[in-house]
Amino acid sequence: MMRCVWCTRTFEPPVTLQDLLRWRPLPMPALCPSCQERFIPITGAHCPACGRQQATTIRCHDCERWGAEILTNHALFQYDAGMKAYMQQYKFQGDYALRKALQAPLYQALAQQRYDVLVPIPVDQHTWLTRGFNQVTGWLRDQPFQQVLRVKADHKSQPQSAKTRAERLVTPQPFMLDTAAAKIIVNQRVLLLDDVYTTGRTLRHAASQIYLGGAKAFTSLTLAR
Amino acid sequence: MIDLSEYFGRRLPAITGTSQLGAGILAVQQVDSRYQCQRCQQWLADTDQLPNGAWYCRQCLQLGRVTSQTKLYTIPEPNRFSPPESPLTWTGELSPDQQQAAESIRQHVQRGQNQLLWAVTGAGKTEIVYPALAWAVTQGWRIAWASPRVDVCLELAPRIRAAFAAVSQCLLYGEQPAPYQYSQLTVCTTHQLLRFEQAFDWIIVDEVDAFPLATSPLLQLAITRAEKPTGQHLYLTATPGEKLQRQIRQRTLVTTYLPLRYHGYLLPQLRVRLAWRWREHLRKGRLPRPLIRQLLAYLEKGQRFLLFVPHVRDLPEIMAELAHQDIRGGVSVHAADPERTGKVQALRDQKLSFLVTTTILERGVTFPNIAVVILGGDDAVFSTAALVQIAGRAGRSADFPDGEVTCYIQTQTRVVRRAQTMITRLNRQGKQRGGRRP
Repeated sequence: MMRCVWCTRTFEPPVTLQDLLRWRPLPMPALCPSCQERFIPITGAHCPACGRQQATTIRCHDCERWGAEILTNHALFQYDAGMKAYMQQYKFQGDYALRKALQAPLYQALAQQRYDVLVPIPVDQHTWLTRGFNQVTGWLRDQPFQQVLRVKADHKSQPQSAKTRAERLVTPQPFMLDTAAAKIIVNQRVLLLDDVYTTGRTLRHAASQIYLGGAKAFTSLTLAR
Repeated sequence: MIDLSEYFGRRLPAITGTSQLGAGILAVQQVDSRYQCQRCQQWLADTDQLPNGAWYCRQCLQLGRVTSQTKLYTIPEPNRFSPPESPLTWTGELSPDQQQAAESIRQHVQRGQNQLLWAVTGAGKTEIVYPALAWAVTQGWRIAWASPRVDVCLELAPRIRAAFAAVSQCLLYGEQPAPYQYSQLTVCTTHQLLRFEQAFDWIIVDEVDAFPLATSPLLQLAITRAEKPTGQHLYLTATPGEKLQRQIRQRTLVTTYLPLRYHGYLLPQLRVRLAWRWREHLRKGRLPRPLIRQLLAYLEKGQRFLLFVPHVRDLPEIMAELAHQDIRGGVSVHAADPERTGKVQALRDQKLSFLVTTTILERGVTFPNIAVVILGGDDAVFSTAALVQIAGRAGRSADFPDGEVTCYIQTQTRVVRRAQTMITRLNRQGKQRGGRRP
């Protein structure tokens, strides 16, 4: 008997014969099956640049509009009503315990990525004080990461999520490289981790800083698209 | 300058103006080795700590997060009202039975007693409370009318607003767009009471046996804390739970009892029919034959009906099978349905001929001439109270006091039998008061 971290109802975790035969500790899902169903994974064909679910594997319209600023992003889940409800409670209401809901799928996804340094998108000082946690690092169990990026002190802290697409696109560079950490990424393959890919503005800002720091290759992973 | 009246009798975090609000208390405090939320009084799990060191409460998160770094402020309730001399602007009339009940409630309120009004579905509970409420308003009391169901609050607020037109009022619930306003009469969900502390002289709890209040110690505590030490409460219900019934038997709770509907007709009894392994059959796309025949007959007569089913996930299969059997002209509705209110209104306006629904429509809704069918009444989601409430949807209007209630079950269970027994008992007492069979 387990308690779902999201809906707080108790449930019996489904155990398959495979789980038993594998002779390892049984999986301990944080979510009950019906809450799990609220997340729709991105499978099959998707845009190679932003990771959105679509019928073809050519770059989507939004990515075409970015022109030469090319990015390789993978996304785990569709940013639909279920994911929005999750983000609302986790990020905006600040329910830190909900981080457990997506730790397992992220763990699996990171294991499939090829990278040397994992860099999560940072939160600014104000968010850190009010929210009390960085929503991105919350999803990491004990995978090593480097906080190479910092939010500039003079960056206005209006959240991206409160802006329109046009406003998001003209957002000035919010990040700078941490002087001590900058050495770490030289000649390394860097994987950036963020919560939601919406316009791609934030990730592209982060990417340009990472390139300035001398990274050899760069990809990104987001929870939702 | 902040509006201090916002803090009268409440327990809130403050953003500005804390100098005017006194010391305040920390929202999450350590008690021995555990942490307790000072807003909802629940204990934190030992994992509910943030990376910045603060502890936060998950139980009352929906009201906005409080942590061990948040402070809560309050100003003792000053009862700063100017009540009108005769606040009751309601012009309706109470039946002799209702009048008797209303009088008894008023007397108990005046004596400062906690009490219960047990009145059958469709007895007119709200109106019965009006005379006592009018008296309480003239005393300058601050009063809350709380219910665990938001639909009940939404339906109630305009009625009370009209009945007490000159009394300051506000309506509070989760997704409320309007800002809070200090007022004498507060209609709210029981969750909202968590924001109050020793505020109310009288709390009326409507549908006291309804989910989630009945099973939530958090909400039961919220009622106690929102009440002044000198305050009192009135519970309203048509189907008291085990605990309340025991208190009634032991005479530890003053009870006013009304076993008759306002129109003087008896309650329709649950008719039980067996539907052997209906769920297995449904998986294969079949519904019980008698059910289909009954629903087709309703459609032919133009009789509108409600079909209650145990779970949301049953809805698509049942709708598909109904369409297959040519039973059309209705829709399904469930708790998370964005068009919920619209669909209910459409049935009321006779634009639909039926609704297939879960327990969300078990109480607080009235359709004039409706037949009620329950599929799977022996499922665990239907409690005795729920079944009696569902049966109470039928025959509510004086023009159509006769309503059919059919309950399809796989096996006879204690819960179903208890529901029948309760209706029988209420009807026996109703008959003694001159109740008629429809």
